[in-house]
Amino acid sequence: MGTAGMLATAEIRRGRGRFAAVVSALSLIVFLVLILGSLADGLFFGATGAVRSTTANAYGFSNDAEGSLIRSRLDISDVERFAAAPGVEAAGPVGVLLTGGVGPEGELDLAVFGVDVGGPGTPTTLVDGRLPDPGEIGVAAADSQLQRFGVEIGTTVAVGGESAEIVGIVTDSSYQLQPTIWTSVDTWRAMRDAVRPELRGQPTSINSVAMIVAGDADLTAIAASIPDTTVLTAEATGLAIPGVEQQASTLNSIIYTTLAVAALVVALFFALLVLEKRELFAALKALGTPTSRLGVAVIVQALVSSALGVVIGTLVARGFGLLIPADVPTLFRTDTLITIAVFTLVAGFVGAVFSLRRIARIDPATAIGGAL
Amino acid sequence: MTASETPDPVAQATDSAAEGTGPAPAVDAAAHPDALLQVRDVTKVYGSGHTAVTALAEATLAVEKGEFVALLGPSGSGKTTLISIIGGLLAPTSGSVTIGDTDVASLSRKQLTRFRAERVGFVFQSANLVPFLTARENLLYVAGLVGMTKSDARARADQLLGELGLTDRARNLPEQLSGGERQRVAIGRALMNDPDLVLVDEPTAALDTALGRQVVQLLRREIKDRGKTGIMVTHDLRMVEYTDRVFEILDGHLTHVESPSALGH
Repeated sequence: MGTAGMLATAEIRRGRGRFAAVVSALSLIVFLVLILGSLADGLFFGATGAVRSTTANAYGFSNDAEGSLIRSRLDISDVERFAAAPGVEAAGPVGVLLTGGVGPEGELDLAVFGVDVGGPGTPTTLVDGRLPDPGEIGVAAADSQLQRFGVEIGTTVAVGGESAEIVGIVTDSSYQLQPTIWTSVDTWRAMRDAVRPELRGQPTSINSVAMIVAGDADLTAIAASIPDTTVLTAEATGLAIPGVEQQASTLNSIIYTTLAVAALVVALFFALLVLEKRELFAALKALGTPTSRLGVAVIVQALVSSALGVVIGTLVARGFGLLIPADVPTLFRTDTLITIAVFTLVAGFVGAVFSLRRIARIDPATAIGGAL
Repeated sequence: MTASETPDPVAQATDSAAEGTGPAPAVDAAAHPDALLQVRDVTKVYGSGHTAVTALAEATLAVEKGEFVALLGPSGSGKTTLISIIGGLLAPTSGSVTIGDTDVASLSRKQLTRFRAERVGFVFQSANLVPFLTARENLLYVAGLVGMTKSDARARADQLLGELGLTDRARNLPEQLSGGERQRVAIGRALMNDPDLVLVDEPTAALDTALGRQVVQLLRREIKDRGKTGIMVTHDLRMVEYTDRVFEILDGHLTHVESPSALGH
């Protein structure tokens, strides 16, 4: 350990009370940012699960739908057309219905997805049981969130008098924060017709076409080959869901502003600390300590404080996460944690850098008597 | 600022004496051609034009290896300025300072930092120990600056602490030490890097007479035993009896005091 490390760590170890203040402030900021981050992730993942957790990597829509699965209206015959388009490896129908239903414990808010199981758009997150077989009528896989309402394998979920027996459980598949059930296109259409009588005369209508496209496929060219359609990647389909992009950008703005506050907190703390240690730093410089080593010591202290803030803030946030009601969409992701940890360390570093000029300006000659 | 620009040191010393600022001529550098420390015609002027203040006027001084000298003077007399220039903390307006074969004024800021770490030991007025390092760590810190190996550093720190009677206090923080103990740690720290020159700034200012004497006696012993060169700035006449020679600065003019015992009167 060099002299800089010796100064940095000894001061933290023996001046715990003082550093507790800055570590507490940073822990609080990390806690706040992690909770906001978990809400942002919860909202994003809750809204987009149904288009992320499937085998499809692109979706076709009718032109007037603006990328919305709900608004889009296509015909079952479009599936063949998309399948024949350049760069499309496979295509399958998707029907979507946002509705109310009845589960074992009463009424439920639901999104019913009708897909050709095995084809594009099939969920990839089965955790229990099985998916419906291709063409199987009257059965469905349910999102694990429905388990809170008593939906399990062997129970039944009914929509407008049409019922489906649950044969499997999938996760991370909700749509617009609604839990989903996944069934055949025929069962989906029967449920749709039951609750939306105005659509009963459209036996071949579907909402969208899920596709598996080649990595280098030109989505515009695919859309151009079928009149009045647009094609979006699965990711873009998620972002096109109303509110998703806006929520993400609002919450991210709050998160990054809060992290900027972390940099200010560190800058202020070390500015005060350096001011207080001016006399000591002058003496150390007189003894032959290069300014760079004093600077490194301050930066090491800022990084150690930030790292402690990340650890404590994370533990508190995870503890607090257990107290958040299950119906509040929160999700603690390792990716988000790593990003926030890195940003907090960067904020600590940037904050400490502001003190370097102040340290450089300290004149070692002031260590001895007065100036004259 | 270089030696070549300076007038004859002998003539200079005579000039200083002729101004009648001290009881005897300033020491003459020519008489000590092999002295470890040679200060020649050092002047320091603060400010410029009408506001210029001459803190030090053509000071000339030579101190031999193994000598321990006192620099006396009231506050504002220029003694701090002189010791700061000798220690490479302040650049002179003109004149030269050489320590061994190093011309201090010719060093860059970075070289001065290195020079202070390797060749100079400082004992500050209020000890100025690192408050969050133990007595032993305060010594080891200096060893870290000069790149001493860990085992050498530990051995030297323990030896110095032993000589200074601080073995039992090695693990104490400065706040747990008395004023005298703190100053003794500061002496150990100043000797840790095995410097050529030890500069001591008012070491007894915060101590009572008995403790002050003890500290200066210890300082003298360490400097003599190790063959170092020591300069102690003080305004305490009682401490000059422990030094080999005494210089006095009044209004920026340095003079050699021939009979220190007469100073009190």
